[in-house]
Amino acid sequence: MITGITGIISDLSLYRRLIGMQLRTQVQYKVNLAVDIFTYFLVTMLEYMVIFLYFNTFQTLLGWHVGEVALLGAVVSFTFGLAELFGSGLDSFSEIIRRGEFDRILLRPVGALMQVASNEFRMRRLGRMTQGLLMFLFALHLLPALHWTFAKLLMLVFGIASGATIFVAVLLLGATLCFWTVETTELANILTYGGREVMSWPLSVYNRAFQSIFLFVVPLAFGLYMPVCYLLGRPQPLGLPDAAAFLSPLAAALFAAVAYVFWRFGVRRYQSAGG
Amino acid sequence: MPRKTHYYRFYFEVARASFRRQLVYRWTNLTGLIVNIFFGAIFSYVMIALFQARHDTAGYDLRDTLRYIWLVQALIMVVVPFGWTDLMLTIRSGDVVSDLSKPCDFYWYWFSREVGSALYYFLFRTVPIYLGGMLLFGIGLPGGWVSWLGSGFFLLIGAALGIAFRFLYNIIAFWIIEARAMVTMGQVIATFFTGSYIPIAFMPFWLRSITLWLPFNGMMNVPTEIFTGKLFGGALAFEFLRQALWLVALTLLARGIAAIAARRVVVQGG
Repeated sequence: MITGITGIISDLSLYRRLIGMQLRTQVQYKVNLAVDIFTYFLVTMLEYMVIFLYFNTFQTLLGWHVGEVALLGAVVSFTFGLAELFGSGLDSFSEIIRRGEFDRILLRPVGALMQVASNEFRMRRLGRMTQGLLMFLFALHLLPALHWTFAKLLMLVFGIASGATIFVAVLLLGATLCFWTVETTELANILTYGGREVMSWPLSVYNRAFQSIFLFVVPLAFGLYMPVCYLLGRPQPLGLPDAAAFLSPLAAALFAAVAYVFWRFGVRRYQSAGG
Repeated sequence: MPRKTHYYRFYFEVARASFRRQLVYRWTNLTGLIVNIFFGAIFSYVMIALFQARHDTAGYDLRDTLRYIWLVQALIMVVVPFGWTDLMLTIRSGDVVSDLSKPCDFYWYWFSREVGSALYYFLFRTVPIYLGGMLLFGIGLPGGWVSWLGSGFFLLIGAALGIAFRFLYNIIAFWIIEARAMVTMGQVIATFFTGSYIPIAFMPFWLRSITLWLPFNGMMNVPTEIFTGKLFGGALAFEFLRQALWLVALTLLARGIAAIAARRVVVQGG
């Protein structure tokens, strides 16, 4: 037990050091980094503008007004950017498998997951987070009647943390799939890019089966959407009680645990292609 | 001249090889198909919900809109394939040198490759994705064979425009080392102005006026609007003129930049 905990602590400090190294390299190329971040900012902005184009034609979306959808979209975008920032190493895991580098990773006396996760840390993701933050402020401007309480603020933190955790866990599942085949890496895109798109709109848009899947199987809606409903004062999906939104971190932790167990299983089962 | 026919033969073989290469990645393509259908379903749900508030907009009712969404989703991989960095990667690895020294035109070589994979994507993405939309949302088939024929003809122009465009945003890698950001930018701009996020007819007047004049309009919106019966008659002649001009301009631009880049490689003494 004690060795387990000290193991985690030493892993974390190593993680910090490896990420720090990547940050220092990327900061060396200042112009390049600035262009990269700015490009991602523009790109995500363009994606986001679609909300306003829709609302230019249609006045409401099942009773949601433009400010509410804009706020939801901003929180989802920020959260996704946060997950991408920490999960890029997992996202490019298929490359590690393809090049046979995972064998080398397994030989080192440090946790494999930590090495994979710290393999890449892309600061350009800050572009998306900046966009999310600015649009959050803009959405607040569109929602002058929104009344803030301590519980709502807490819920916002819960939503972002749980949502980012679940997105990273999805990336981990996608990486784990690479132990069996590197041909289906796009499947994880359904839950990452697809999940982001699904979350960007009120859940009541989708049919019930779809809603249940995103609430209870891949609990992105539980972790991210329900907290946003709580702070907007909108009813929870499928008639769930409002207080259920406080359970969002639990849903995220459970899903992350399942993803981790699956990853461990994959590692144990892994056999290098190189024989 | 026998040499010339020999060239056509070569380009044909390049296209054929590229078509067959796609056939090998069976699982990759199947998952790609599932992803496309998933996104089509999400956009459809959002549209159905939006149309609860009103029955039609800009001359589109819900069924027209769903057909538009599914056909655009079905054409994406034919016209503006996501994550296309094939040319950029050869520039970065240096393999481009061997392609440049092939006894053929560099641009038409890549063009033929892309025609081969576009044909693959038409057969194994466009058709099944639209069928998926018919099955999941009952969108049916619009019009008759005349509009399908017209749509098919304009799709040829659209696909050629798409090839010129992706060639352009990839060849930047000759000058910029980390061109990935440019690729993302090129793709998102194309996605936006081709009507993949929102049908061009739904855009506010000022934005639509600009968009209709861009080459992106010819890539997917024109073939799709002909297919759904929104574009017909004399307007087609005008669209043909506008997009044919763009096609010539983009192709010349792509070939011109390729020539400059080729000289640069020689100067660097590869």
